[in-house]
Amino acid sequence: MTRKQKRLAVIAGGMSFILAAVLLIMFAFGQSVAYFYMPGDIAKANLTPGTRIRLGGLVAEGSVVRGEGSTVSFKVTDGNTEIPVSYTGILPDLFREGQGVVTEGRFAEGGPQFTADTVLAKHDENYMPKEVADRLKEQGLWQHTEEGKP
Amino acid sequence: MLFWIIVAILTAAVAVFLLKPLMRPGREGDAARTGEAAVYKDQLREIDRDLAGGLIGEVEADNARAEIGRRLIAVSATGAADGRRASGATLRKIAAGIVIVVLPATGLCLYLLTGSPGTPDQPLAARLENPGNNLDLLVAKAERHLAENPNDGKGWDILAPIYYRGGRLGDAELAYRNAIRFLGVNAERATGLGETIMAGNQGIVTEDARLAFEEAARREPKSPRPRFYLALAMEQAGRRDEAKAAFEALEKDSPADAPWLPLLREHIAKNSSDGPPVASAPGNPTEADVKAAEGMTSGDRQEMIRGMVASLDARLKEDPNNFEGWMRLVRSYAVLGEKDKAVAALKVALTTFPADGTEGRQLVAMAKQAGLDVEGAMK
Amino acid sequence: MIVEIGHYALVLALAVALINSVLPVIGARRNDAGMMELATTGAYALFVLVLLSFLSLVWAYEASDFSVKNVWENSHSAMPAIFRFSAVWGNHEGSMMLWLLILTFFSALVALFGRNLPESLKANALAVQSWMGVAFALFILLTSNPFIRLSPVPAEGEDLNPILQDVGLAIHPPLLYLGYVGFSVSFSFAIAALLDGRLDAAWARWVRPWTLAAWTFLTAGIAMGSYWAYYELGWGGWWFWDPVENASLMPWLAGTALLHSALVMEKREALKIWTVLLSIVTFSLSLLGTFLVRSGVLTSVHSFTTDPTRGVFILGILMLFIGGAFALFAWRAPLLKAGGLFAPISREGSLVLNNLILTVSMGSVLIGTLYPLVLETLTGEKISVGAPFFNLTFGLLMVPLLIAVPFGPLLAWKRGDLLGALQRLYVAAGLALVAGLVFFYAKNGGPVLAVLGLAAGFFLVFGALADLWYRAGFGKVSVSTGWKRLTGLPRSAFGTALGHAGLGITVLGIVAVTTFETENVVEMTQGQTVQAGGFAVKFDGMRATKGPNFTEEQGHFSISRDGVQVADTWSSKRLYTARRMPTTEAGIVTFGTSQLYISLGDPMSNGGIVVRIWWKPYVLLIWGGALVMMAGGFVSLSDRRLRVGAPARRAKPVKAYAAEAAE
Repeated sequence: MTRKQKRLAVIAGGMSFILAAVLLIMFAFGQSVAYFYMPGDIAKANLTPGTRIRLGGLVAEGSVVRGEGSTVSFKVTDGNTEIPVSYTGILPDLFREGQGVVTEGRFAEGGPQFTADTVLAKHDENYMPKEVADRLKEQGLWQHTEEGKP
Repeated sequence: MLFWIIVAILTAAVAVFLLKPLMRPGREGDAARTGEAAVYKDQLREIDRDLAGGLIGEVEADNARAEIGRRLIAVSATGAADGRRASGATLRKIAAGIVIVVLPATGLCLYLLTGSPGTPDQPLAARLENPGNNLDLLVAKAERHLAENPNDGKGWDILAPIYYRGGRLGDAELAYRNAIRFLGVNAERATGLGETIMAGNQGIVTEDARLAFEEAARREPKSPRPRFYLALAMEQAGRRDEAKAAFEALEKDSPADAPWLPLLREHIAKNSSDGPPVASAPGNPTEADVKAAEGMTSGDRQEMIRGMVASLDARLKEDPNNFEGWMRLVRSYAVLGEKDKAVAALKVALTTFPADGTEGRQLVAMAKQAGLDVEGAMK
Repeated sequence: MIVEIGHYALVLALAVALINSVLPVIGARRNDAGMMELATTGAYALFVLVLLSFLSLVWAYEASDFSVKNVWENSHSAMPAIFRFSAVWGNHEGSMMLWLLILTFFSALVALFGRNLPESLKANALAVQSWMGVAFALFILLTSNPFIRLSPVPAEGEDLNPILQDVGLAIHPPLLYLGYVGFSVSFSFAIAALLDGRLDAAWARWVRPWTLAAWTFLTAGIAMGSYWAYYELGWGGWWFWDPVENASLMPWLAGTALLHSALVMEKREALKIWTVLLSIVTFSLSLLGTFLVRSGVLTSVHSFTTDPTRGVFILGILMLFIGGAFALFAWRAPLLKAGGLFAPISREGSLVLNNLILTVSMGSVLIGTLYPLVLETLTGEKISVGAPFFNLTFGLLMVPLLIAVPFGPLLAWKRGDLLGALQRLYVAAGLALVAGLVFFYAKNGGPVLAVLGLAAGFFLVFGALADLWYRAGFGKVSVSTGWKRLTGLPRSAFGTALGHAGLGITVLGIVAVTTFETENVVEMTQGQTVQAGGFAVKFDGMRATKGPNFTEEQGHFSISRDGVQVADTWSSKRLYTARRMPTTEAGIVTFGTSQLYISLGDPMSNGGIVVRIWWKPYVLLIWGGALVMMAGGFVSLSDRRLRVGAPARRAKPVKAYAAEAAE
């Protein structure tokens, strides 16, 4: 091989690595990106069961039921629609009725039952998951409490 | 004054420090690039070391030496030719002028814009030494004292009602319990504990609260407050006849001018068989219940609170520019049931903090929440 | 008054930074030594002023001066002194002060150690540092001023976010910022070189120690943050692919690439333009990280408050510096002379491969982090890109790197011998595979991929050892000569070996814990026992206690193996009184490098409690590897060659060198 050919080969190798990476990224996006929905969107969204999504909203008052072992079921609401959710595991410290929550998981076959494998945890007391806050604001259900003392 | 002296000294010191290099006799920059040459010379030595250590072969070493040699030559060749024209003393004078002008000008302008000159430091320790009339600080001081001497029942006894009025119910409950633990139970403490528990449960007389009121009633059978709450407990439990009887007994024992009589009569009517049914069994006692109960308080505690409020009122008249103080005063009057005084205080507060400002809005909102005649105050 | 003097010192620092960003550049253009030296004095003055300002803020926190709004918002007199201190940077304003402090600290270090840098390079680089000083000082003063006063003065503060009240969090931000901001030095050197139009092998020698220092601190900061998340959040996870974590990983990846490409540039004067570009990219990613974290674009534990003006301001800084740097690069880079040639199979070639893989992996993280933000801005659609995406892309892309790393140091410069390197490494590779298999079967079970993962980890460790082995010439020369040669190796050789071995150890930890970890979520009543990782964990009951500013429900667990009690631990839930905020304090028991991790859930109606028990085998290797990498960084930094021509003393007389070389 001449020097020029060698150089071309190196460049081609590098390019093909980058190309492979781009394809991999596109493939991964198709596989593992979860869309965010509020309970009201679910009916419209026409989801195939088993699609991984994020479901966010407020934990409906009085809906938290502790079942067998560490399975918990509760309802996520946007004020109009409620979606029943079940989750096995330890809930985050700041999981409370009436507070914002984001869950990630799948809908069961043929039912409105949502099985969450993740309930988002990194809250602080003022933290409303951003997606939830934005949507609730749109619907006028929630106002950001102003900072400072009353 | 001292502050401005320090500011001046600081600015001057920095200016002198910055001017130092500009004041030295003019000198051209170093064009010989000795630093780069040093690096290459070191690289050459490294090759010798590697060769000696057997890390690279003779041929590789020679090639590398040649390459570094070329770099060395390049450095010394450009170094001489690289003499950019040096500037004269004028440029340095301009530079010095810039330093002298920019430093104080930027410093002062921006500081006056963003800073609060003359505001003293207020470390907490010093403030606690000398709390004056600041109720919050007095509480904080008492808390510190109790953190070190948690067995001081008197301290808990004083703090408990203050916590309760400030809405710190958890702390109030703890303080009452501690006071009872160290000083023993009396009617006043038991009633306070009951009220605290009740307030923490949206006004429902829970089992714990009922036991506390019973304890108080046992010790002072004549005291109207525990009796009222015990009757309320019966009402909430749905035992309307018993409740009615208890309320009526209390009415009979009350002096004719007692301020809580109207409320009692209301409850008696509510529990009469021909009256409307009680809303929901564990009903929501109105705010009036709670407030009437406040009115029943007698004794030192009430005096103390009133004394504090009065002193706050007096202080605010002298120095009306104290937003937190006004908030507290209006709230206190409202809680004490002295609505006229509350509205009057709100009126004065709104002259200092207009109702369309941030503070004013907070005042109005708070007053509305307390059920005051805000419209009247804003006229 | 102390607070106000601190405030004034900050304003004065801005003024000094303004002067320092203009005059030295003019001085460098006109070749005026006095004006160039101003950069040095200015850098000292800047550091002292910012330090003064920072210390006054620290004083306000320590004295609980609630007349300072920032203190009132983030402190409480009942907090222990150490947390009152760390609370200074546990909030937006204070953390920006820390950023500025570290920036000026590095400027002062460059001023101090750069005594034999070319004057114009030094003056320009310090001026670029001052530009950033101006931008961030203005940002602090105008949008995030920590010295705002309150009147009337509240009696008590609002407390610091409880999950930040932790020793790990006290040291995590300073370490991370030392890394982030440390890369500003290589950025400034790159810009200065572009301004100067002169770029040669010596430049790389001067930049490398700064890059290495920043990289070492960033490694430490990331590891610390990861360990903190592991034990404090009570979730047992050590990496969440949270955008904020990604924001720190990206500069680390780019910085690692920079470290290696600067090596090529120093030795062979090749990859010059690429190295300059990487310097710019690395610091741009640090700035991007600051933007993502500080602007409130992302909500997480790190974004203390959200305020749109701050976001816009930081975005402005970001555009100005990144845009400006790339524009300058596009304009000046073509004027630079290209460097030396090399064959694809050579040390240089392997380092190019390293750079390719690192930057492409960094790109995948960047895309995964920014894509949801961009999509939301453009279409309003909200998506989340989580762990599965990053595990798939980043995980796969890094695999070739893990295999290639041990080859690099064994290849010669210019033209290497792959076959030779292979021959030298097949022992290491074989041993690694065997070790992987033994490890795997000892732990019986798990996916087959785990064997390969473990083997890759061992290969990195053995490969690093093999590198030292062959450099010392063991096997070819007598043991005593070999030993002498080993001890005579430059420190940077040990640094390289430690760095690569550390990576291997981390890989081992990651693979082992993901494969062999067990998790039990059980309802436990007092006296009940659960098996985990070969231990019997017995729940002994709960008790309530009280800390300085929190109340706590603690559960006691005794851990026994074969009927003999070996350890016990408390796991608890805390409620911080000032903010009414609960946190989880997991009970962690360490056995060697493995850990038993017990965290409490909610109490059950029957008096029991939900308990989550993990057995995390070899989990400490993850951070142990990072520690080894850090050690590698420090060992390399101590290499005398890095001090030549850049930091430390004036160039020694040649005789001294000769003596040193003869040693």
